[in-house]
Amino acid sequence: MKLNVDGLLVYFPYDYIYPEQFSYMLELKHALDAKGHCLLEMPSGTGKTTTLLSLIVAYMKAHPLDLTKLVYCSRTVPEIEKVMEELRKLMNYYEKEMGMEQNILGLALSSRKNLCIHPSVSKEREGKVVDGRCYGLTASFVRARHAGDDAVPVCNFYEGFDAHGKEFPLPPGVYNLDDLKEYGQAKGWCPYFLARYTITHANIVVYSYHYLLDPKIAEVVSKEISKTSVVVFDEAHNIDNVCIDSMSVKITKRLLDKCSNSIQILETTISNMKENDNRRLEKEYQRLVEGLRDANIARETDMALVNPVLPSEILEEAVPGTIRTAEHFVAFLKRVVEYIKTRLRVQHVVQESPAGFLRDIHIKVCIDRKPLRFTAERLSSLIRTLEISDLTDFSPLVTVSHFATLVSTYTKGFTIIIEPFEDRAPTVSNPILYFSCLDSSIAIKPVFNRFQTVVITSGTLSPLDMYPKILDFHPVIMTSFTMTLARPCILPMIVSKGNDQVAMSSRYETREDTAVIRNYGNLLVEVAAAVPDGIVCFFTSYLYLETIVSSWYDQGIIDQLQRHKLLFIETQDAAETSLALINYIKACDNGRGAVLLSVARGKVSEGIDFDHHLGRAVLMFGIPYVYTQSRILRARLEYLRDQFQIRENDFLTFDAMRHAAQCLGRCMRGKTDYGIMILADKRFSRADKRSKLPKWIQEHLKDTNCNLSTEECVQISKRWLRQMAQPFSREDQLGISLLTLEQLQSEEMQKKIQQRAQAA
Amino acid sequence: MADEEETNEYRWESGYEKTWEAIKEDDDGLLESNVAEIVARAKRKRAALKATGAIQLGMMRHLFVVIDASECMFLQDLKPTRFLCVLKLLELFVHEFFDLNPISQLGILTTKVKRCVEVAALAGNQKKHIEALQQMKDTSCEGEPSLQNSLERAMNGLKNMPAHSSREVLVLFGSLTTCDPGDIQKTIKSLKENNIRVSIIGLAAEVRICREIAKRTGGTYNVLLDDHHLKELILNQVQPPAVAGSMEASLVKMGFPGGKTGSGDGASDSAADHAPAYCLCHIENETSCLMGNNSGYNCPQCGSRYCELPVECKQCGLTLVSAPHLARSYHHLFPIKPFIERTEVPEMTHCFACAKPFGELDPNVYECENCKQIVCLDCDLFIRETLHTCPGCASDPITAQMKTN
Repeated sequence: MKLNVDGLLVYFPYDYIYPEQFSYMLELKHALDAKGHCLLEMPSGTGKTTTLLSLIVAYMKAHPLDLTKLVYCSRTVPEIEKVMEELRKLMNYYEKEMGMEQNILGLALSSRKNLCIHPSVSKEREGKVVDGRCYGLTASFVRARHAGDDAVPVCNFYEGFDAHGKEFPLPPGVYNLDDLKEYGQAKGWCPYFLARYTITHANIVVYSYHYLLDPKIAEVVSKEISKTSVVVFDEAHNIDNVCIDSMSVKITKRLLDKCSNSIQILETTISNMKENDNRRLEKEYQRLVEGLRDANIARETDMALVNPVLPSEILEEAVPGTIRTAEHFVAFLKRVVEYIKTRLRVQHVVQESPAGFLRDIHIKVCIDRKPLRFTAERLSSLIRTLEISDLTDFSPLVTVSHFATLVSTYTKGFTIIIEPFEDRAPTVSNPILYFSCLDSSIAIKPVFNRFQTVVITSGTLSPLDMYPKILDFHPVIMTSFTMTLARPCILPMIVSKGNDQVAMSSRYETREDTAVIRNYGNLLVEVAAAVPDGIVCFFTSYLYLETIVSSWYDQGIIDQLQRHKLLFIETQDAAETSLALINYIKACDNGRGAVLLSVARGKVSEGIDFDHHLGRAVLMFGIPYVYTQSRILRARLEYLRDQFQIRENDFLTFDAMRHAAQCLGRCMRGKTDYGIMILADKRFSRADKRSKLPKWIQEHLKDTNCNLSTEECVQISKRWLRQMAQPFSREDQLGISLLTLEQLQSEEMQKKIQQRAQAA
Repeated sequence: MADEEETNEYRWESGYEKTWEAIKEDDDGLLESNVAEIVARAKRKRAALKATGAIQLGMMRHLFVVIDASECMFLQDLKPTRFLCVLKLLELFVHEFFDLNPISQLGILTTKVKRCVEVAALAGNQKKHIEALQQMKDTSCEGEPSLQNSLERAMNGLKNMPAHSSREVLVLFGSLTTCDPGDIQKTIKSLKENNIRVSIIGLAAEVRICREIAKRTGGTYNVLLDDHHLKELILNQVQPPAVAGSMEASLVKMGFPGGKTGSGDGASDSAADHAPAYCLCHIENETSCLMGNNSGYNCPQCGSRYCELPVECKQCGLTLVSAPHLARSYHHLFPIKPFIERTEVPEMTHCFACAKPFGELDPNVYECENCKQIVCLDCDLFIRETLHTCPGCASDPITAQMKTN
């Protein structure tokens, strides 16, 4: 249908629209008009993606000069594919309505692993191996060698692309990963490089967060994207952690040992080259004297090693003299690695600032800050000169070089922690150096500065005011939308005590208490007896899950549970977990019913949807606080307190509640779906926790349901389940939570939407 | 039921009931009223569905009722227990079923401890079924049920029934889980191949597999709200369903035993008819009923005597019915025409049938096409489900005349 959103003609590819989708469009349009950033929360299953796409495409068509490109960042490949499907639907609708081909090019980009069509390389399973082998076939020196000697293998697809691909741009249309591969096969062009080349002039680009947030990748892939773009981060509730991870480095003892090996390889290669072909090394030296930037002539395929520092910070200076010659640089690297090795030989935990580290390295092994800063660039230049085509072995050395560069570039917002052993096993020596980013705004700042509009959206972003603080930006719009429902299809409840009135809580003091564990067990058994099909339970950690399950086993609760449903447990092993998931789905499908015990922040809690019968109830056992004894977390909390005036407790609660909300949201994937959400911890009923739940959950969490015992909870669930099982059709939704065009345009509805906008 | 309640347990031992909440309207006016509205709409839909008379009905029904007798049937959310409540309602159902479908057959299965047991074989004798149901009250409920086993069992019984009859299974399913030996999807497939329609009534909550079975075999799946709703749901199954797909039409042989009301005109009957005889339906029981001279019905084919009709002759397998029985299922074939739904009729302020003034609650009224009388929704349903004749038409001498002609 065609909508009028505040004066903008929007083509919406469905016959019906949810009221909140319309409100979402309104807010998004305001943000685009204002050329500012925005933060929007809308429950999952209400069609966020299609809403975003249809509004932004309409805006691009209406204002082609103000808005040229949409960059849509998602988390996983399946999510990227979903976005492409929605986009295809939208474009088909445009074509049908306007009766002509649309001049819009949309494409998805993923790693080489997902796009490679080379007959042997594409068989590799691991992403790093594919990257390495691809580099070995497409690096500029390999191709140069190939020109002289036909025996040197190259990738025909890349050659094909290089020869013709750039003259003929991709015709307009929507290309998902498979389409790109097909197109590449047909033309004999490499889909990966075709996609990367096309990014610069495509209208809509869909790819993973990392292509924009991780400076190591962003520099190569997303450099050319113009300022007049809108960037969308979908499922962005964990965006701060992604930012932090992309800037953090972890160095273990084993990694350092591997580094030593790599350095030896470098040494021998250099001495070989010196004997055979000294000219090249000299040439490189000359180039380095002239300045690093010129040395690095843009060669797209040589991207495997890049500087971890942000584009704006890239140094335009010449490489310092101490590391200009290859031997000197290798000796320098050796010193750095040996120095870190000695640092790892500690008996107690050391925490240090980057400045302290630099001072220490200067005193101990006489390494200045400046050469350290150039380590990453210098290493990539060296590897290029040495024409090493197999890069996979060098990844440990690359990690260390990143560390060296980062530690000497940033003095604020980072910390170094060296732990001689893990907290859990204090007798086993396993020294690790963490170089940890404390400030999530560092990685995302260039994104906010560069693009005119950045949209951060997810199903669970509450409390909204935390994100501008920790990401350090000023949104023009910040709104949380609720879900209009024709029937109350979520039932959130806070269960605070068992039938014996003993309070349930995962507090540290009481978590070992058998009474609490037994009450948790009884709650699960009773819920399992009352709720059909699938139930998903979330625990606060793997450790807690294990202790609880073992004591349930002793108490006979597992036996009782298995009378009603089958039991599956998520483990840290990904293969085991996916097997458990497959069988869980099978058990739900054929009516046996199943319970899945999993962990908040685990794989199940983030990426997997339990729609309809797969998740009729979600139980949250305890509040999923992060492991507060972690030193990295402590350091981050301290930093947040000093720099952003965020109290420790506020941040911890915020973090715990967003994960809890994420877990609860697993069971609710659409308006025809329904599910029970049980929060089994006394502390959830406190105002500071409750008020941090997303608005759409809070709305259904009545005061009467905030302090229930197991028995009351089961009674309420039973009655509610019966009501939900009554026939429910689209007609029941029409006019309330689902609107036709006429209904949307009716005065009454417009008024309601206005009110909602004001309330928000 | 009163005595059972006494023996059962004390009030404080039973489940937690917030009776006050049942009558309270929700704060935001969403929950209860909305559900009530959905139920009302379902009622209207039901009325509309019944009205369509042209479709072929499977009047000769072979129905297996599967009763869940697993552990969860001892729960007391239905009074006194789920199991007893279901049995009680089934007695009513059996009675109604044979009343409205005199030429049909019924069988009863139960499932517990992952197995399925036949309680009453497929037969047309309602007394036996009711007896079997009453005996079941003393049996225990234990273990898990098995949907697959029960459906397989029912399928084996129904497979060999003639093609012109409608094959149905009704499952009363209290459990939320099923413990099956194999892949239930295969069972669903073969049910479909055999044209068996499975309807399921859930006693607790929506179970996906049940919905799937019902959907794929063309049956219905409903979940009760309370015991009144359960009664309604069970009695809905009394109506013969519309024939799905092609069912061959064929002649069915039936016997109409001569009715002997008086004692005088028995000259033409053979001597055997007058001899005192055991009624064949009770001959196996200890409390067999010895019939007098002139009561009972004789099978016209083999002469066996029965105390009640309709029944399937034990000797020769002939279906014995009486003419009134057939007449009673006549209304299935010629239902009264659907009443026209009107939003408002200003000149009529009262329902013609019950004389209740039309309130604000239900704005819709219903008009008979023939006699133009207006009735309310409740009366409309009553006329359709119980009376099978329009009071307006019946009271109007001209239309009544027309109808009899």
